[in-house]
Amino acid sequence: MTGKPYRLAEGGSRIDRAKRVTFSFDGRDIQGFAGDTVASAVLASGQKVFGRSYKYHRPRGVMGLGSEEMNALVGVGADAKREPNLRANQVEIYQGMVSESQNRWPSLTFDIGGINNKLSRFFPGGFYYKTFMWPKAFWKHVYEPVIRKAAGLGKAATGRDPDNYEHMHIHADVLVAGGGLAGILAAEAAAKAGAKVVLMDENPVLGGIADLTAGMINGACVADWLAPKIAELKAMPNVHVLVRTTVVGHYHHNFLMAAERVADHDPSLLAAGAPRHRLWKIRASHVIMATGALERPIAFANNDRPNVMLASAVRALVGRYGVSPGTNGVVFTNNDDAYLTAFALKKAGVNVQVVDSRARPDGELVARAQEEGIAVSLSSVISAVEGTLAVKAVKIAAYRKGQGRVITEKRVECDFIASSGGWNPVLHIWAHNAGKIKFDDGLQSFRPDTHNAAMTAVGAANGTMSVEATIAEAQAAGEAAAKSVLKKAKAVKAEKLEVKEPRRAALESLWFAPATGAYNEGNKHFIDFQNDVTAADLELAQREGYESVEHTKRYTTYGMATDQGKTSNINGLGVLSEATGKTIPQIGTTTFRPPYTPYSFGAIAGSLTRELFLPVRRTAVYQWHIDKGATWEPVGQWRRAYTYSGAGETKHQSITREILAVRNKVGLLDASTLGKIEIKGPDAAEFLDRMYTNTFSTLKVGKCRYGLMANELGFLTDDGVTVRLAEDHFLMHTTSGGADRIAAWLEEWLQTEWTHYKVFVTPVTEQWSQFGLAGPKARDVLAKLAPDFDVSNEAFPHMSFKVGKLGGFPVRVFRISFSGEQSYEIATPAGYGLSLWKAFLEAGAEFGIEPYGTEALHVLRAEKGYIVIGDETDGTTTAEDVGMGGMVSKKKADFIGKRSMEQAELKRAGRKQLVGLLTEDPNEVLPDGAYAVAEVKDKPPMKMIGQVTSTYMSPTLGRSIAMALIENGRARMGETISFPLEGGKVVRAKITDTVFYDKDGGRINA
Amino acid sequence: MLEPQFEPALAGRAEPANTYITLREISTRGMIDLRGHTSDRKFMAAAKEVLGVDLPKAPRTSHGFGDVKVLWLSPDQWLVICARDKAPELAAALSKALAGIHSLAVDVSDMRAILRLEGEGAREVMMKSTSLDFSDEDFAPGYVRRVRFAEIAALFNIVEDNVIDVYVFRSYAHYAMDFLTKAARKGSEVGLFKKG
Repeated sequence: MTGKPYRLAEGGSRIDRAKRVTFSFDGRDIQGFAGDTVASAVLASGQKVFGRSYKYHRPRGVMGLGSEEMNALVGVGADAKREPNLRANQVEIYQGMVSESQNRWPSLTFDIGGINNKLSRFFPGGFYYKTFMWPKAFWKHVYEPVIRKAAGLGKAATGRDPDNYEHMHIHADVLVAGGGLAGILAAEAAAKAGAKVVLMDENPVLGGIADLTAGMINGACVADWLAPKIAELKAMPNVHVLVRTTVVGHYHHNFLMAAERVADHDPSLLAAGAPRHRLWKIRASHVIMATGALERPIAFANNDRPNVMLASAVRALVGRYGVSPGTNGVVFTNNDDAYLTAFALKKAGVNVQVVDSRARPDGELVARAQEEGIAVSLSSVISAVEGTLAVKAVKIAAYRKGQGRVITEKRVECDFIASSGGWNPVLHIWAHNAGKIKFDDGLQSFRPDTHNAAMTAVGAANGTMSVEATIAEAQAAGEAAAKSVLKKAKAVKAEKLEVKEPRRAALESLWFAPATGAYNEGNKHFIDFQNDVTAADLELAQREGYESVEHTKRYTTYGMATDQGKTSNINGLGVLSEATGKTIPQIGTTTFRPPYTPYSFGAIAGSLTRELFLPVRRTAVYQWHIDKGATWEPVGQWRRAYTYSGAGETKHQSITREILAVRNKVGLLDASTLGKIEIKGPDAAEFLDRMYTNTFSTLKVGKCRYGLMANELGFLTDDGVTVRLAEDHFLMHTTSGGADRIAAWLEEWLQTEWTHYKVFVTPVTEQWSQFGLAGPKARDVLAKLAPDFDVSNEAFPHMSFKVGKLGGFPVRVFRISFSGEQSYEIATPAGYGLSLWKAFLEAGAEFGIEPYGTEALHVLRAEKGYIVIGDETDGTTTAEDVGMGGMVSKKKADFIGKRSMEQAELKRAGRKQLVGLLTEDPNEVLPDGAYAVAEVKDKPPMKMIGQVTSTYMSPTLGRSIAMALIENGRARMGETISFPLEGGKVVRAKITDTVFYDKDGGRINA
Repeated sequence: MLEPQFEPALAGRAEPANTYITLREISTRGMIDLRGHTSDRKFMAAAKEVLGVDLPKAPRTSHGFGDVKVLWLSPDQWLVICARDKAPELAAALSKALAGIHSLAVDVSDMRAILRLEGEGAREVMMKSTSLDFSDEDFAPGYVRRVRFAEIAALFNIVEDNVIDVYVFRSYAHYAMDFLTKAARKGSEVGLFKKG
């Protein structure tokens, strides 16, 4: 089909006829002009069908002017770059763009799902609830797969999105949402008064629908008068203007989100480094809502046929893109505004007549239609539409509001319909955060009422439809906003304006145009096009007792999906009103929720994808670990080396090798992630006595002590070695994952409960690289590094520390052990960490030193029965439970958790207690978390008596070992218990002491 | 072999290219975390004696004297910035002068990495990274603030109009530089309030 006659010979304010742009739609090349949208270019090519409807698979075409579009949704981009559900009338075309229609199979003109339409009497409102409930098994195997395939809108992208996205934060004195007449003038007034103004508009050009509006300002049409104002506004130093940017949500304290489509219209920007979308997070002192209004359709029989459009959409096609939907149109209206569409069509040489439901509209536009020779049928409605893939004719019937059915009708041939049921103020962002709205009888729609936030609505968004009133209201609001925000606002000089606009007749609500024949039998009156909800569906829901509009919405799906009821909300309420005899305000509306229009997940994620998805913390030795083939164990955000597998070595082999190196020679561990907190002050020792269950005030300077920390509930929350640097100065070690939490915990107690304590707490975790040097040869390695202190066992026994130098390295050396071996932890400032690490490896080479990872660390400590907070404890475990009741001071007056530990439940005999386990088969390693049961039965339920907390193959002992929390475990020593596993297997294990290796601790003190 | 080699957090990493501001690590500065009470005159006097400058009491401010700069961190905490090789002796001098006064001075020169943003878009890049308003007139040279930066904790100091130092914990230095490199990618300029 050629472009003729749809592309008009002239006209089109948005397009550049000198620049041809070719793109594809459903695999077909379409030629448009620069400035076209997918909708305008495809319509110009003669194609009317853009998709199939959700439920009945009815052919659908373009309906709307902008973000209200619910039918002509397209997917843009291929594969990983595809974005579905974009409104064809808002998608700007570019050379080579790939787009496709949605929800049709196999093609737009022949769609197999259209059979649903023939069967539609079996798909009444609420049919999802009625049909798919039983039998139960059908849901998973029949209904859901079928619905998933048949229903839905566009297809999601496949593969990882290759484009960039980002977030941007901005603060504004005044944020203006919407850049039409009202928004521009409000922004101008606020900016002239001195405010920092940010103006955002979802369209590619500012001006809103000034170009589709009647009226003259100082002798110029509205758009021409506005053009220099827009240029002036953009040039002001205190104004930032964003186009293609939709304010999608309003939240507490005037926080708003806006989605900017930076590069969707021009892929060369992407190539140059621009993000595809940018999400704006805005904090505004004042918000001016100038979001305009959306036209609403009229519910008449088969009002969903392709080429049934909103009057404003037709006017924009003609005026902006030089495209007419056809050659012979009918304008169907209940108000004066749609007459402007008739004038635009006539001026463009398109045949047009008007059907007006009102009996005696006395506005100037109606009179002008008659003067221009446009046929106007008053007291009339469209009672039927002929044609399926396109409009062929309409039937026009006499109508009087409140009176019955169609009696007489005439058939009029036409190829498109422009309908207008009035305008709904776009008050979404007003309502997102609990702004009140009120029903306006003149508009037959809701408009903003009061708001607790500093927000003002202006222009059509406020229900102000006249140009003159909009100008006054917008300028006043802009100035007032600036005054409310600024300490000293400048006075804005009022312009002298002469505004002329046509006097308009009142709108008369029209919620349902009676149809030929029995209605809803091939005569669907669509209210919600996107979900295929008809007036009859809404009435049925009423009859079935869904009185609340929120229930009706869920039951019928009216107002859902990507358009969120932008066109259906008020029309649906109108139908419900007539069905119930209640007024629309009595029925109320459904809830407005962000976002106003959908925006991409990419925008939501922003930069935080791939390597930035999660912050990764690196120790000073990070790169060395990678170079040596380490696999990682994530510990909080840290990456710790799990094991260093050499070439041809399995992880199991390398872990075994590392463990044996520590037991027989010497190993080196990167323990830098351990939390380190300096605690100093005259009350530091007493403070620590309160924080730990055991006592630190008795610790000697130069010595180390292992501490257990409980929370107020008496449960273990952290552990670690704390050393006394000076009488009033301690260094606390925490678990790697607990570093920040414990530092905050200490501060909380100091700042909120024990404010009299003179104690300072400074976390220093990251200052130090800290390495574990463990094994029978550890001292030899240390000695080789030229310490300036005595490392002999006598001078430097277990649980003491030295501050000094190893060669040139400033160090703190702690003789502490988590492996049961002779062991030191050496800390040096992180900048020296890598070179000290290497120095150890070099010095230790002759002793067979090997780096070991966290898995070896865990096996080594499990062989010794050392607990790990979070493994052996689960947040409900006490010191007594893990067999460390001896570390709970009986002498101290108080410490955190003391009172709770006195509770009967925590003192109860027979609680789960930590024990060791030796499986009957020494090669059998119990799964972590495996449950022990009192008695094995054929199938659950079985009484559970505990669970495995740590479980390993011990190369030192040549057999498996495990620890478990078992009910009354310590009294069951020697007892064999059963662990039923998946698949019916049962592992039996003997309860033992938790210390499997070197029970007398000789090695640690060697 | 046994001589310590100092490695900055971003050692071995190439400076980012293709960004619209300059990004680099500053590794020549030392840092001392200082705690004490402003109500304690002895503490304030001793600190000034050693540092040559009053500790700033006003939130989010800094004081400088010669090569020493003191950043306000909280009502009882400051970060003293000095030449890296002077940090140990300055920390020792502080501890000595503060002996007997309730205080805590710790050399934390290796705890944080300093990432410097330099160029006309520095403030804009910070607005992509934090929720703060860098166009606010309070955000003048000398300004200091702790902030959530991308997804981590950071501290920043406005050094000059278009020079901002971001202090992050050392382990996050690569993450922070990765984030900044992406935020400052050429072609992603926002040009906030920029005309023409």
